[in-house]
Parts: sequence; structure tokens; C-alpha cells
Amino acid sequence: MNLSIQLAPKNKQGLSLTNPVMTASGTFGYGTEYSHMFDIQKLGAMVCKGTSLEPREGNPQPRLAETACGLLNSIGLQNIGVEALIKEKAPIWAGWRLPVIVNIVGETIDDYARLAGELDGVAGIGGIEVNIGCPNIKAGGAEFGAKPGSAAEVTAAVKAATSLPVLVKLTPNTSDIAEVAMAVAEAKADAISLINTLKGIAIDIARRRPLLGSITGGLSGPAIKPVALYMVYEVAGAVELPIIGCGGIATASDALEFIMAGASAIQVGTANLTNPRAPLDVLEGIEQFMGKEGIEDIAELIGAARG
Amino acid sequence: MRQEIASVTANTELMPQVHLMWLESPQIASIAQPGHFVMVRCGEGLEYQLRRPFSIHQVDKTKVKLALLFTVVGKGTHWLSQCRVGDNIDLLGPLGNGYSIHPGSQNLLLVAGGIGIAPLVFLAQQALSQGQSVTLLLGTSTATQLYPEHLLPSEVKLIIATEDGTAGKKGLITDLLPDFTGWADQIFACGPTSMYQTIVAQNQQKSKPVQISLEVRMGCGLGVCYGCTVKTKSGLRQVCKDGPIFDLGDILWGELDL
Ligand SMILES: Cc1cc2nc3c(=O)[nH]c(=O)nc-3n(C[C@H](O)[C@H](O)[C@H](O)COP(=O)(O)OP(=O)(O)OC[C@H]3O[C@@H](n4cnc5c(N)ncnc54)[C@H](O)[C@@H]3O)c2cc1C
Ligand SMILES: Cc1cc2nc3c(=O)[nH]c(=O)nc-3n(C[C@H](O)[C@H](O)[C@H](O)COP(=O)(O)O)c2cc1C
Ligand code: FES
Repeated sequence: MNLSIQLAPKNKQGLSLTNPVMTASGTFGYGTEYSHMFDIQKLGAMVCKGTSLEPREGNPQPRLAETACGLLNSIGLQNIGVEALIKEKAPIWAGWRLPVIVNIVGETIDDYARLAGELDGVAGIGGIEVNIGCPNIKAGGAEFGAKPGSAAEVTAAVKAATSLPVLVKLTPNTSDIAEVAMAVAEAKADAISLINTLKGIAIDIARRRPLLGSITGGLSGPAIKPVALYMVYEVAGAVELPIIGCGGIATASDALEFIMAGASAIQVGTANLTNPRAPLDVLEGIEQFMGKEGIEDIAELIGAARG
Repeated sequence: MRQEIASVTANTELMPQVHLMWLESPQIASIAQPGHFVMVRCGEGLEYQLRRPFSIHQVDKTKVKLALLFTVVGKGTHWLSQCRVGDNIDLLGPLGNGYSIHPGSQNLLLVAGGIGIAPLVFLAQQALSQGQSVTLLLGTSTATQLYPEHLLPSEVKLIIATEDGTAGKKGLITDLLPDFTGWADQIFACGPTSMYQTIVAQNQQKSKPVQISLEVRMGCGLGVCYGCTVKTKSGLRQVCKDGPIFDLGDILWGELDL
């Protein structure tokens, strides 16, 4: 049975995964926290916490609110910064079999370019995932990924600064996700991952105020799965690039839906919080499904529901 | 830290809306220390996106079982309250840093506000087994919410306050605190944030070291998600990993709006 996939066919280095199951940024730390719980190296790839040029403090408490089948978070991209990541985490990853992809976040296009430059050639880093769901300081705080133009600018700047495979992670907080995807593809992204969280809010009625310290948060979990699946379906029809589906995936059947909608790989996010073994369970479930259905190569399933 | 499927051996309503649950969980119980907590997976299916954190209330003598003491406040704790003997519950633990009794401390003052008694019983047991003296100040809203005295080690000196005066001294437990600070070598407190803020206002931490257990909303419990970060005098800290036990004086209370 062949589950391997290539996520960056046009990149010199390539990004080859032994299977399509990845972990989503921000929900699996740096991988080291889970490595003693199960063999995380069985997974296809790991994406680490969003990383900025300087360490970030994040948002005020509370940062988490559970909603119906969903989770609102306003972590505010707290992270250790790229320097500490290169010094402390990358050397550990260099000894791992599975590729580690570094999720990057910036407030200006120059931030993204500098981050990509610093990560270029660092042992232990297999690729970059560009989170364009961050507020663009220069453009008054709208997300880079909200408009095709700024999404393409970030992509082009990152591509110019690194030879690593570049995944661009789309935000659902835009009016036309397919247009953003096409702009990103045009700017030579190697692959597209989607979706990031949907903007949301929860109110504490006893205290008559928003539940989250920073008022708004990002919604994730099973509640967003149909939306994520729709966007993957849309984007898969609009671009030729490999697509990584993400959003509410907790089981193998969730993952298979995304693959059949056109994703070459998938990411497990929020589900890790209740079930740290979720990515492994998803992988085993995909294998079982393929065995039962007599499928030899995962490629047979990619886009299978697209007719 | 382990993930363990623990089976419920007892689940009783000890006080109104407060349950005492014993679980057979040898991997976690055998290494648990006072102040540690577990992340409990509530419910089945996809409804719950987060585990719930609970202090380890006690560990039995054989270190095979551990107990949780919880108030039913929402859907997760309601689900837990309905679990029956023989049911399996998925736990992650033991988590966190735990209380630390300084070498040379002999007189330990424990201050519990309401359900804050949960981690302090384990601490009292450990301290007594090491030959230390324990005074427990226990405050609740009313007499029926008091933790049963016969479940406490008999060597514990118990002082009670209730807000409505139905048992012990009428008022808040912190009203009694100044009377005992002089005796104590160390103070260990667990209760609502308002109780900690009162202790800060009383300036108790200036005379004696006070360790508290901080409650914030948690995602992973493992230091992965940054859901639990608070600001302290020594920088940002993750409550699940660097806490939940902190020195009272380290927390920047002005910046913490829970
Ligand atoms: C380190 C630690 C130890 C704790 N130990 C105990 C204990 O021993 N006994 C006990 O009764 N309670 C304890 N709590 C509080 C307990 O975790 C909450 O009461 C519980 O999570 C409520 O869940 P729910 O689904 O019933 O409530 P809901 O209100 O339905 O929960 C919604 C969400 O908010 C979170 N939440 C709600 N209240 C709290 C709270 N006070 N603190 C943190 N998160 C909260 C829940 O975990 C959940 O994610 C502890 C909290 C922490 C952080
Ligand atoms: C606690 C938390 C932190 C996250 N941090 C990041 C991040 O740093 N960078 C990023 O691109 N996405 C981040 N995400 C978004 C996830 O990677 C994922 O895109 C989203 O949650 C949808 O997938 P899910 O429903 O499987 O969680 C975070 C999500 C959560 C819940
Ligand atoms: S709860 Fe996730 S880092 Fe503390």
C-alpha cells in the first residue's frame, strides 16, 4: 500500500511525506512535547507553532472558549521567536525522520521575507508554511490573506528569500478563497494549506462582556469542518498545486472527506487537545479504509469525489 | 506524564453538587505529588474540544487509585458526575509543578476557599507523613458545603469559617488568616481568585511565603497551545507547565483579569 505523497513537486528540494497525515500549527507545539507519548515519526509531517522574528507575548486571558463542537482561541501568536527556534528546536528535529515545517507569521511583508531568509538552509527544517491570516499592520490590520494582492505579495517575498518548499496557509476570512488561491499559485507557492480559523466571538452573559480577553478569536474544531471542506473543494478546482486540507479533522473519515475533495494531505489541529493520538488514529484509519476498499495508492483517492 | 484509561471505582455526591470520584489509575497515582493535576476527557464523540483540568485530591496508600473532588458547574463536570463505577475515563497526568515544602518548614498553614480544599488534602497527608504540623483553614459559603472532617487526617488542626455563619466563625476564611500567619513557616492556599487578591491586600506574602494554585482555562495541559499563559514578575509563564502552583507574590494581579 502506498501512502506517500510529494507536496512540492516543482521545488528542487521537494517535500516528500511517507503519508498524508500532518499536525496543524499551534496545536502540537514543537512535537517534542508529544514524542514520548507515541511515535510521532510515523506521521507524514509536523507543522510547528507560528513563529515570528521576535518572541511574542500573545493576548490577555482568557484565551480559550469552548463553543458547540468548536473552540475559540485568541492565543495571539505567542511564540519563542525564530532565533530560539533555530537554536533550540531545529537541532532536535534534525535527528527526526519526519519533515518539520515551520509556520511563520509577520506584521509586514519584510517580516515574512526575513523569517524565510533566516530559516533557509537550517538543518532540521523541511519547509515553511506561511500564515497569511495575520493582521497586516501597514494595511490597517486587515489580514494579508483577505485580498489576493497582499496574499501574492507575501508569497512572492517568501519565495524570493528561501529555497525551502513554501506552503501558503489561507485564511477563510476572505470573500473569495479561490481568487486568493490563484494569486498565491501565480506567485509560485509550492503548495496551499487551508483553512486557518474563522473569526468568532463568545459572550459571558453573567458578566455581560466578551468571554475572550481580546474580544475576538478564531474558531476551529468540528464546527468548521463543512466550511473548510467546501473551501478545499473550491480551491482544488481553481489551482493545480497540491492542497493540504485542515479544519475540524478528528477522525479518518473526516480526513478521507478532505482527500476526496481534492486534498493531497491533511492536518489535524484542535483534535490533538482532547486526543493527542488523534493524528495516529487518523493515519491508521486511512490505512484500514484503503485495505478494506482494496486501494493500492492514496493517489487514487485524491479528488475522488470531484467527478 | 502518562495517558491512562482509568476505571471509576467510586463516585459519590459528598456535599451538594460536589462529587468525590475514585479512579483506578496506577500509572498516574504512583508518581503524583500534591498540587499536580490531571486533564480529564469528558464525554464521547466530538462535542468536547477541551479536556477539563482537576487537581489530584488524594492518592490511596497503595498508589493504585487517585481521587478527584469536583463541583458540578457546567457540562463537563455534569457528565463526570453521572459516571458510574466501572466506567472508563481517559486521563492525562500527572501534570504541573506541584506544591513545594521548603526544607526546614515545620508548621504548614493550608487555606482552602470552597472547592479549593481539593489539592490541599493530598498536601496535608504528605506533610503529616513527613512529621510536619498542619493547620487547615477551611472556608465555605455555608455549613453543608464543608468537606467532612472525618475524611481529613485526624492530626490536622481544622479551623472553619462560613459566610452565613452556619458553622465555625461567620465570615471569610481570610478574616482568620492573620491570626495564624505568625505560627506558620509556609502558607499554601487554594481557592477563587478573589481569595488570593484578599491575601495580597493583607500583605501576608510579605511575612511568610505563600504558594497558590492558579485556575485558568486550559487547552492542552502540556505546554503546547499557550492557552494558559499568565504574566509574572519573572516573565510569561504557562500555568499548566510552570504552574499551577505559584508564589503569590510572583503573579502580576493587575494584569490578570480572569
Ligand atoms: C489546575 C486546575 C485545577 C483545578 N482543580 C479543580 C478541582 O480539583 N475541583 C474542581 O471542582 N474544579 C477544579 N478546577 C476547575 C475545573 O477545571 C472547572 O470547574 C471545569 O473545567 C469546568 O468544566 P465544565 O465543563 O463543567 O464547565 P463549563 O463552564 O461548561 O466549561 C467550559 C470551559 O471552560 C473551562 N472552565 C470553566 N470553569 C473553569 C475554571 N474555573 N477553571 C478553569 N477552566 C474552567 C472548562 O475547562 C471548559 O473548557 C481546576 C482548574 C484548574 C485550572
Ligand atoms: C490553540 C490554537 C493555536 C493555533 N495557532 C496557530 C498558529 O500559530 N499558526 C497558524 O497558522 N494556525 C494556528 N492555528 C490554526 C490551526 O493550525 C488550524 O488551521 C485551525 O485550528 C483549523 O483546524 P482544526 O479545526 O483541526 O483545529 C491554531 C489553532 C488553535 C486551536
Ligand atoms: S494549556 Fe496548553 S500550554 Fe498550558
